[in-house]
Amino acid sequence: MTAPAIAPLAIPARPRKPLVRAAWALVTVALIAAWWHLDIGLRDLATLPPDIVHYTRLMFTDPDLTALPDAFFQTWRSVAMAWVGALLGVVLSTLLGIPAAAGVGPWWVRLPLRGLFAVIRAVPEVVIAIIILTVTGLTPFTGALALAIGGIGTHAKWTYETIEAVPSGTSEAVTAAGGNLAQVIRWGLWPAAAPELMSLALYRFEINVRTSAILGLIGVGGIGDLLTGYTQHRQWDTVGVLIVVVIAVTMSIDAVSGRIRRRIMEGARVRDVERSA
Amino acid sequence: MSAHALGAEAGGAPSASASWPVELKDVTVRYPNGVVALKGVSVRIEPGEIVAVVGLSGSGKSTLIRTINGLVPVTEGTVTVGDHVVSELRGRALRELRGHVGMIFQAFNLADRASVFHNVLVGRFAHTPTWRTLIGAASPRDREVVMRALDSVGMLEKVWGRAGALSGGQKQRVAIARALSQEPSVMLADEPVASLDPPTAHSVMRDLERINQERGLTVLVNLHLMDLARQYTTRMIGLRQGELVYDGPAADATDADFEAIYGRPIQPRDRLDR
Repeated sequence: MTAPAIAPLAIPARPRKPLVRAAWALVTVALIAAWWHLDIGLRDLATLPPDIVHYTRLMFTDPDLTALPDAFFQTWRSVAMAWVGALLGVVLSTLLGIPAAAGVGPWWVRLPLRGLFAVIRAVPEVVIAIIILTVTGLTPFTGALALAIGGIGTHAKWTYETIEAVPSGTSEAVTAAGGNLAQVIRWGLWPAAAPELMSLALYRFEINVRTSAILGLIGVGGIGDLLTGYTQHRQWDTVGVLIVVVIAVTMSIDAVSGRIRRRIMEGARVRDVERSA
Repeated sequence: MSAHALGAEAGGAPSASASWPVELKDVTVRYPNGVVALKGVSVRIEPGEIVAVVGLSGSGKSTLIRTINGLVPVTEGTVTVGDHVVSELRGRALRELRGHVGMIFQAFNLADRASVFHNVLVGRFAHTPTWRTLIGAASPRDREVVMRALDSVGMLEKVWGRAGALSGGQKQRVAIARALSQEPSVMLADEPVASLDPPTAHSVMRDLERINQERGLTVLVNLHLMDLARQYTTRMIGLRQGELVYDGPAADATDADFEAIYGRPIQPRDRLDR
């Protein structure tokens, strides 16, 4: 009785992935270097939880409500800044974003515009505000203008991406009927892109509400301004009230705006399939 | 469906259209990616003819029909429509010519989220100042032309509805109205019934047939189904791999002719009514 001969298996060589390993090594080294450089001590981390409890108590056990009317007024200012900034930014983004779409503008229009958007995306709104406040001063208008310009970077990109995603059939029909470029944009592209662009414009407003609070930190007015002042004077009982107001208002706006956006997109979809009897 | 009279310009508004001939001379189309879609095609279509362009997908029939309104530029040869040489036209002159050539598509190509009215108004673009079209305003005359065009395809009652809410057959009729509102001299149809169920396909083909018979309009229609070509057109052009392989009366075309055009035996899917 001889055991049947077992043929050796032709096992394929396990693939080596040197690039993946190198990438992981790099991430690890970067993390260690950053941690070490920032000098984050484990001892400091240990005091963090009790600190949080301490300051939370200072802020919320005995809130000072005298600042409440002012908090609402400054929040309204922030929201107004966000709204004006969104409106200006969306209008500019639409005008600049449409020619930047493939199939609309020629390459020598598209490339410079896309470069401009990329540069703007690289600069945070706060930095834009610091640059333009030398001209317009420390006013809420500076904030709105910074939000408008800063918004172009992303919103114009969303605009040309949305335009490019529109199926080409309707545009072809408008061209075939003798339409020019402006007519193709208006009746071949715009009807299909409009709901998405409206939704994105509202989303821009939501983002601006959050960013406008940050812009207050450099003194252009609004809730951020107020928050900086009270924090520097360590009036925690008022800071707590301000934080609650900011969070409540931002969340309410997000909820309402999000619901409207859903209605716009769902409405567009539903109306596409409904059959009017 | 057939109760509405097509060519009846009932209000007495005279149709501005006169039917035009179409002539291709040694037309070759090479796309930028190197594909040669048409190879030395020559054909002349007389005013008022209704011609089927038959071939499998990829045979070049979409390209052929698009050279007639300049959507696809020719690489070699000339395309003449009426007394215009399409291959020589640019910019405004090309748009002007396109204003005289109506076109309908397989996918209807309507703006689904705009009203039926605004979709049909697109047919007036070549004859209207741009600013007016951008705000969607229509002159009384354009409005009249749009309403008549919609009435002639039996879609007048949907004029204020959204195009996206219509069924496929209704969409194609609105697309025909859009082309008719151009008051065209030539009508092109690129696989107009390939997205429709058989009964609707027949009614859309009948619409095209009536446009040809009642208005005397030159009609070129791309089809891949042999029975539709035989039933609704008088002349048939066969394309195979970009070359003209058949030209003759549609009714006389035998199964063998179709097999030669397709380059394979006839299959059930080559007919609409199996």
